[in-house]
Amino acid sequence: MSATVAVLSRIRLPSAAMTFGVLLTGVVALGAVLAPWLTNADPLGLGTDILSAPSAAHPMGTDDLGRDLFARVLYGGRVSLGVGLFSGLLSVVFGTGIGLIAGFAGGMSDEVLMRVTEMFQVMPKLLAAVVVVSLVGSSLTNEVLVIGLLSWPATARVIRSRVQVLRGQDFIAAARMGGASPLRILWRNLLPNVSAFVLVSTSLQIASAIVSESFLSFLGLGDPGHPSWGLLLQQGQLFLEQAWWLTTLPGVALAMTVLGMNLLGDGLSGGRAR
Amino acid sequence: MTGLILRLLLKRLVGTVPLVFAVVALTFFVIRLAPGDPAFILAGEAPTPEFLAQVRAENGLDKPVWVQFMTFLGRAATGDFGKSIFAGRPVFEVILERLPATALLAGVAMVIASVVGVLLGVSAAKRAGSTQDAAISVLSLLGTSVPSFWIGQVLILVFAVWLGWFPVSGMVAARARYTGFNHVWDVAVHMVLPVTTLAVYLVTLIARFTRTAMIEALSQDFILVARAKGVGSRTILWHHAFRNAVVTTVTVIGLEFGAVLAGTVVVEIVFGWPGLGRLFYDAIYRRDFPLLTGSFMFSALVVIAVNTLSEIICAMLDPRLRRT
Repeated sequence: MSATVAVLSRIRLPSAAMTFGVLLTGVVALGAVLAPWLTNADPLGLGTDILSAPSAAHPMGTDDLGRDLFARVLYGGRVSLGVGLFSGLLSVVFGTGIGLIAGFAGGMSDEVLMRVTEMFQVMPKLLAAVVVVSLVGSSLTNEVLVIGLLSWPATARVIRSRVQVLRGQDFIAAARMGGASPLRILWRNLLPNVSAFVLVSTSLQIASAIVSESFLSFLGLGDPGHPSWGLLLQQGQLFLEQAWWLTTLPGVALAMTVLGMNLLGDGLSGGRAR
Repeated sequence: MTGLILRLLLKRLVGTVPLVFAVVALTFFVIRLAPGDPAFILAGEAPTPEFLAQVRAENGLDKPVWVQFMTFLGRAATGDFGKSIFAGRPVFEVILERLPATALLAGVAMVIASVVGVLLGVSAAKRAGSTQDAAISVLSLLGTSVPSFWIGQVLILVFAVWLGWFPVSGMVAARARYTGFNHVWDVAVHMVLPVTTLAVYLVTLIARFTRTAMIEALSQDFILVARAKGVGSRTILWHHAFRNAVVTTVTVIGLEFGAVLAGTVVVEIVFGWPGLGRLFYDAIYRRDFPLLTGSFMFSALVVIAVNTLSEIICAMLDPRLRRT
């Protein structure tokens, strides 16, 4: 296991790829943020113009209830990106905390924490998320909590292995001798030294959280009041043969965002992230 | 060799006990976490009072929580995952009925993905830094970025709706009742798109990890020695380097098996494939919670088993791993 973590893919992408990644995600994110200024259409407003192909009036066409797809993709982006951002951040905060403690404390605490991490890693994450959300109820908050709390092991492992290296170094010993409490060492000495890894993890985790969210809402477990890209793709599935735009266009937005975040994360890590 | 395998198997099986325990505990915890009376969750929306009482008694819901947990654990350990509300039959039986279709889909996809992924990864590593390598790297990043259900939808649009090469959905042609070879061919034609969809994610992942492991292996001294001895480049690549990289490949396949199962859920929905994934989806919609939690536990146990298997295969492939 640790051997695999050590040799995790080291694809070296030029920084042009990173810029491209920022651009991809940036365009979609900007569209989501500026949605009210980009379209007058209501993402939930019904219309008489049903299943019409992209046109000047409806840049991305309309769905079976005459709703404007462009508006739905833009506003759906707010949901997908929002859930992705918060659950990604939650998983990184959680994973970093566990990684810091396990790596720094060592011994029994490390052993126990890593066993728990392993359990979460073996657990089929998406299926577990489906079971939890269908039993507990679907809402944006539940989605964020479930995705965030099931996705932290990768971050925890990376941070832990990094901390294990740092722990033995002189500046930590110096801080100890200076009378710094363990908590202070964690916060002031170790955390800043792993911040680069935290950053990489954040961008990859947000990417993966956006995909997880789309998985849940594709299965109808998102918040029906806040349609995300996954829900749009589920609804488009019914009209695959009549209306190509209903699946293709939201999917392109989703793919652009996730690819962008992955390119960014890969670039930040010099291709050593995974 | 047999003795070795048995010893490894025993060791790994002991290691899986806490994992299995964790999966069952999580399921139990989630059922308790759900708002409302767990009896209603297990008995369905509008049970008769007698059935409700029966469910309560069967699950020991009138007893303390820890007794309930022990009952739940004991039943799960014996393969008793409860009764499906919709089907009215044991969950395990319903799962077994659907298993072959999913096993066929996932099995073929995994075999194809392993072969293609390894070939891509090795050929990228062989010329690390070349245009071909960069192209494979970018493609593999793209493949891991796009959700598989969308890949499936796009494949349907292009190859089924527009080009008409393959059927849109299903496992067999709806009206025709083929037998013998024609039946096999029919299923094969229906499998092309879903298998491709499922394989994309795995191919990209296996290619990435194999590439890294191969680059690592190719930079070792023994490769230099082999080259100096005049060993052919093909032999060096496959016999010397890949034998060292293959452990990584097998580990990745094991670790990602959970993601493959999740992939089968959406792929089966997109392609109307009558397997476990569809069952899972139907369970969500019908709020058939015993079926849902039962399928989850079953899937998690399969994932643990596959992981264990991949660890054993790794130990057989690489003697250095046998000591752990």
